[in-house]
Amino acid sequence: MKVLMLGWELPPFFAGGVGMVCYHLTRALCQQAVEVTYVMPFGPRMIRSDYMKILVADNLFPRMRFQLKEVSTFLGAYQTPEGYDEHFKNYLSGLSPTERARALYGPNVFQEAYLFAQKVKRIALEEEFDVIHAHDHWTFPAAIAAKDATGKPLVVHVHITEFDKSGGLSVNQRVYDMEREGMHKADLIIVVSNFIKHRLINNYGVPEWKIRVVHNAAEPMDPNIQHDASKIKENDKIVLFIGRITLQKGPDYFVEAARKVLEKDPNVKFIMAGTGDMLPRMIERVAELGIADKFIFPGFVSREEVAKLNKIADVFVMPSVSEPFGIVPLEAMWQETPAIISKQSGVSEVLNNVLKVDFWDVNDIASKILALFYYRNLHNEIKQHGAVEVRTMTWDKPATQCIDVYHELLRMKRGG
Amino acid sequence: MRLEPRLKKKKDGEEINKRSINMVSVCFYFQVHQPMRLRKYSVFDIGNNTDYFDDNKNKEIIKKVANKCYLPTNKLLLSLIKKHKGEFKVSFSISGVALDQFQKYAPEVIYSFKELANTGCVEFLNETYYHSLSYLFDKDEFKEQVMLHKQKIKDLFGQEAKAFRNTELIYNNELANFVQGLGYQTILAEGADHILGWRSPNFVYTPKTADKMKLLLKNYRLSDDVAFRFSNKGWVEHPLTVEKYNRWVSATNGNGYVVNLFMDYETFGEHQWEDTGIFKFLEYLPGEILRNPDNNFVTVSEAAEKYPPVAEMDIHHFMSWADIERDLSAWLGNSLQNTAASELYKIGKLVKQTGDSKLIDNWRRLTTSDHFYYMCIKWFSDGDVHKYFNPYDTPYEGFITFMNVLNDMVIRVRDIQKKKANAQVANAYSQSAGKPGSFANSFISEHPSAELINMNLDVNPIVKK
Repeated sequence: MKVLMLGWELPPFFAGGVGMVCYHLTRALCQQAVEVTYVMPFGPRMIRSDYMKILVADNLFPRMRFQLKEVSTFLGAYQTPEGYDEHFKNYLSGLSPTERARALYGPNVFQEAYLFAQKVKRIALEEEFDVIHAHDHWTFPAAIAAKDATGKPLVVHVHITEFDKSGGLSVNQRVYDMEREGMHKADLIIVVSNFIKHRLINNYGVPEWKIRVVHNAAEPMDPNIQHDASKIKENDKIVLFIGRITLQKGPDYFVEAARKVLEKDPNVKFIMAGTGDMLPRMIERVAELGIADKFIFPGFVSREEVAKLNKIADVFVMPSVSEPFGIVPLEAMWQETPAIISKQSGVSEVLNNVLKVDFWDVNDIASKILALFYYRNLHNEIKQHGAVEVRTMTWDKPATQCIDVYHELLRMKRGG
Repeated sequence: MRLEPRLKKKKDGEEINKRSINMVSVCFYFQVHQPMRLRKYSVFDIGNNTDYFDDNKNKEIIKKVANKCYLPTNKLLLSLIKKHKGEFKVSFSISGVALDQFQKYAPEVIYSFKELANTGCVEFLNETYYHSLSYLFDKDEFKEQVMLHKQKIKDLFGQEAKAFRNTELIYNNELANFVQGLGYQTILAEGADHILGWRSPNFVYTPKTADKMKLLLKNYRLSDDVAFRFSNKGWVEHPLTVEKYNRWVSATNGNGYVVNLFMDYETFGEHQWEDTGIFKFLEYLPGEILRNPDNNFVTVSEAAEKYPPVAEMDIHHFMSWADIERDLSAWLGNSLQNTAASELYKIGKLVKQTGDSKLIDNWRRLTTSDHFYYMCIKWFSDGDVHKYFNPYDTPYEGFITFMNVLNDMVIRVRDIQKKKANAQVANAYSQSAGKPGSFANSFISEHPSAELINMNLDVNPIVKK
């Protein structure tokens, strides 16, 4: 089985979890003897070198057929069209004339996507493969071009939709159109949760028969990461939030829950790690509530810092308003920190050893945080069983499910 | 017409000697139980809210199951008893908490059980009023709950029960002995392979430690064919017809006298829905079994009186009728369940000392085994039988709700104790005017309330790693 895979990102350069998913999924696919040609757009040199390093790691898996085709762009998957323009200007001003000329390939994010499509079309005609597998809507024009050029079947992989990013408040029509076109031109669609499946049926008019749910697995982490016994730990319990501080992630519900917890128990510190457009508002809000001394805002944190924060935390909370999957609670489970997660998340469909809440039920979130403080046995049981559970969520399972989808595509093609 | 005279009439033992080699008695016992489910009760409710039970949900479930199961099945049984002119008989055990809820939300269910009682062909067993695990934690409480149930059954159905079944058929030697001490003549248990070995469940046994008692063992294969497998299309014997089932029951001949078919009453119409054909099955089964004139139906006590015990049954370890393990692990299999149960029973005596009847009843409702079943996590790996019955998203939420409610009860106990103590102190002060030492001492020793709250609410920081 040979797969032409299209993606916007691959670690270590990534804006969210999708790059990580692509990385682990392709690795697991290769271990199951699938030959993957991964095509991604390309940007600043820094990324190139980081990226090539991963290709070297490929040698560790002898059966792995992993090729990189690079195309010029610096677009990150989570950039908004507005953010892109800003970024683009900054980028141009710091470049040499030749680099600038090169970067001028795409004056806006949509042109990047269509430029990528042209290049992918050429690559597709040269490469040998059985199916096309495309991640992220920015690759959908490229995926459609490759399908049209070669007649090979296409599966698009939906990790998130425009509705989830904006909380349904400001859907960009052009993004929506791009997503919708990809979904409708695809032969089958893989989604990361039932949550997303219903989104596609309800908001994109996708027929149910076309959708296959493949839940993500957990990224392996080092559970024995060294951490400094921080001073904040001395007298206080720690409740942790990690994620972009945007409407989608529900940071405001975290703050309101914190206020309720503090009414019962003042010896608690709340760490809100990440950045985003709602960060200033959150800082104002905790000041308003008079609980600023109980809050720590470390800003963007690296993966290693994520692990360390999870290690010292007593409770992890993911109060997402809308979460297509959500890998952050898995990172908490790796570090044996009990997680409270929103029922409005894809990951809550698969996790057993967590506490589940409705994101708007601030009272319930606070009550469960306190329950984890009060009932030591509860804390222990969830911690222990969660650590076992996350270890069983390996990538070979979603990879096998993807392979089933590839075979289905080929059967469909033969049948039609 | 009552049950007792009927039993005495058949007590002559003649039948045993004349018993045809092809004869088999069928003993149906149906369990009826509905817990009082807790409402969503947060940490913030502790100390502020004594309304623990989800009346709306309980009402909804009682009405739903009454319409799907209790009312139609009772009606069918009544017509079968009439049709077979007293030859068809069944036994019931109905928990006190279920009866309370029927009285409150669906009194027509009580009425239909009374109609069955009046036929003289239906025996009612005793159990713990609150369908509890109290025998395992507090034998005085167990006895009190059994006596409460005895009285309830007598009041409602006019029967003085002589047979006993413990919650979920939890059983061992000592329990049989204890129950014998309460005056019961027959007790039920699971016919688990690990206790039977080569022996058959289709005989009457006697508990090793209770020689005046008879022990009836569930034929779990034939019982589960109906209760669990009836609608399973993947089962090789599907569909199960009355002819086929009658052949299996009759195949017992020569290897026993009595086939004990013990199951949840909710099998009919609730676990197995009407469209599976379960009601038709029940409707035609008695006629099919009675086609052989040597076959008959017996109630639990009739079976025990009719047949002599063939052997002693020596069962040291607790067993039950639950899950594959047939042990206590569905209710007491993890540290959350064990914590919740031990904390609950720890305050039992103190709750009763308050004399507050509402508080005592609230506490006893928490002893219902279902609350612990909801905290079971072993089903994560093997399907969702437990999940179907679980009102919580996760077992952990079941634990949190239970412990929050229990902590509120602790506060209520403490407040009542304080009130009483203050009155006592005031009293002592007026009597001993000027000698404070004496009454201060009595206050501390008699009122250990200060420790109580700390026992449950561990407010220290959690030490990690």
